[in-house]
Amino acid sequence: MSPAPRVSRRRLLGYVGSAGVGAAAGAGAVLAVGAEDAAPASSAPAPAAPGRTIEPWGAHQPGVAAPQAAVSELVALDLLPDVDREALGRLMRLWTGDIEALAAGRGAPGDPAPWLSQPASDLTITVGVGPGACRPGLFGAGPPGFGDVPPMRHDRLQERWSGGDLAVLVAGRDGTTVAHAVRRLVADAAPFARARWRQVGSWNPTDPTGRPQTGRNLFGQVDGSGNPQPGTPLFDATVWVREGRWAGGSSLVVRCIRMDLDTWDELTRDEQERSVGRTLADGAPLTGGPELHDLDLEARSQGRLVVPADAHARRAHPSLHGGRRMFRKGANYTREVETGQGVEVESGLVFLAFQADLADQFVPVQQALDESDQLNDWTTAIGSATFAVLPGFEQGSWLGEQLLT
Amino acid sequence: MTRTTRTNRTAPARGRVRRLVPAAALALALGTGLASCGDEEPTGSTDSTSETTEQAGSVTIGDPWVRATVGAEDTSMSAAFMTIDNDGEQDVTLVGASTEVAAMVELHEMSMVDGAMAMQAMPDGLVVAAGRGKVLEPGGYHVMLMDLQGELAAGDEVELTLEFSDGSEQALTAPVKEFTEEEGHYHEPGTGEHDHS
Repeated sequence: MSPAPRVSRRRLLGYVGSAGVGAAAGAGAVLAVGAEDAAPASSAPAPAAPGRTIEPWGAHQPGVAAPQAAVSELVALDLLPDVDREALGRLMRLWTGDIEALAAGRGAPGDPAPWLSQPASDLTITVGVGPGACRPGLFGAGPPGFGDVPPMRHDRLQERWSGGDLAVLVAGRDGTTVAHAVRRLVADAAPFARARWRQVGSWNPTDPTGRPQTGRNLFGQVDGSGNPQPGTPLFDATVWVREGRWAGGSSLVVRCIRMDLDTWDELTRDEQERSVGRTLADGAPLTGGPELHDLDLEARSQGRLVVPADAHARRAHPSLHGGRRMFRKGANYTREVETGQGVEVESGLVFLAFQADLADQFVPVQQALDESDQLNDWTTAIGSATFAVLPGFEQGSWLGEQLLT
Repeated sequence: MTRTTRTNRTAPARGRVRRLVPAAALALALGTGLASCGDEEPTGSTDSTSETTEQAGSVTIGDPWVRATVGAEDTSMSAAFMTIDNDGEQDVTLVGASTEVAAMVELHEMSMVDGAMAMQAMPDGLVVAAGRGKVLEPGGYHVMLMDLQGELAAGDEVELTLEFSDGSEQALTAPVKEFTEEEGHYHEPGTGEHDHS
């Protein structure tokens, strides 16, 4: 994980802008940080910053391993027909400049509304490349195992939530900052790509005292307890591409999963818990122990499996898949959709799975769930898209440089 | 209008806007040593000449961009904007700049003249005090690009070389972005061609 944010020299310098024309673009955000040498207006101690300023540089794009943010917005874009490798380079350099500024809490270069950027926003911006752009003349072949998710029997995919040549995942602690970052990235990409779909969702990543928690989906389930923990060798082995042109990258599966809250609510609590294999109160395995304890898949009570044969957590359990696993994140959504009968409210989860090898890790697990998983009764994938997550970039370099030069 | 023009403009090599970027220039353009890293010694090429006292060696350029002319009222002019940080012990003075995309380049500032914003050349250059920074932005200081050799479309890249008073230079590459300027920015004070109400 990145070290705690430090106040940069640059921030301490302060800017002398030109006279008379309102707040300096960019400088407003800089001043808002509160330079260490600035005399406070009152003696009252300032409250702690509400979030972190996350550096955009490193071997990996930091948004993958960063803690779940409160707000996630994902935009898929399609490349315009005449965009070639050279143009992609310009787009990636442009986005790199935007990402560096937005992550620091400055407006993007040329930002007409720089005041919407703010440091300590937990902001991360993660860029991925769809299968259509992983070909010669563009990014070249994707990482090993990368491609589309094969059709699943339970899928009811809609074109409007599927596919895309590029994806930008913007996560942060508030929706305004996130929306602004998305807006700038999409607007600056206009000479190269057009937005295809956009999905936004929320998550509650902290408990009432501010401590990190796993968080819940709209069924009320604690969702993500089995995740490998960032910073561990298991996480690294699960998520990062190790070798080759994409080393330091990953692959991302985005599944828009509609959840039928009405029929879910008709179940008893016991039925709800047995469908997954975890308690609703705290996500602990039904076989006992705290939330992060592993499930005991052999445990029986009165001769009956405590975690049923078709419970979600059993069917997806790495021990049944030769250790294959993924790193999951999610964003809960509620939106109005037009149907033949008028406008209806739809709820669900924008499900994100990161893994080094999509074909080897994601696909077999998803196929097992498609074959049998109690949750299939109340969940339906209505969107599916895959993106090769670009390796990280260092200061002075740019996103995708090793793939485009 | 502007928008459709823009989305149709992409790759073909055009005029004198260069798109291939030398690594060193790119490092500068992308803000080597900037932002929240906290490193007092930028790691990129900026400081590779730090043993000299050249002004360009103590300056870090951040967030550069150039305003697109496609769709603009006057397409013969544009401007480059950026932040300039002076991490050195001596004041530096930016005295000029050059680029292949413009036949004439000057440093300008906007200021109030008779109650209206007007643009003025800065014959003495722009001083960036030691340990301080300056923002070049719309409505303020800018590098004026005049007698453009071709249109500048969003998505292009412009190579720019900044010149300091000791003769040292720093090259950078700036992306071209759309930005709606205030009216009348590129007219000399007193021409009265626009109403600044």
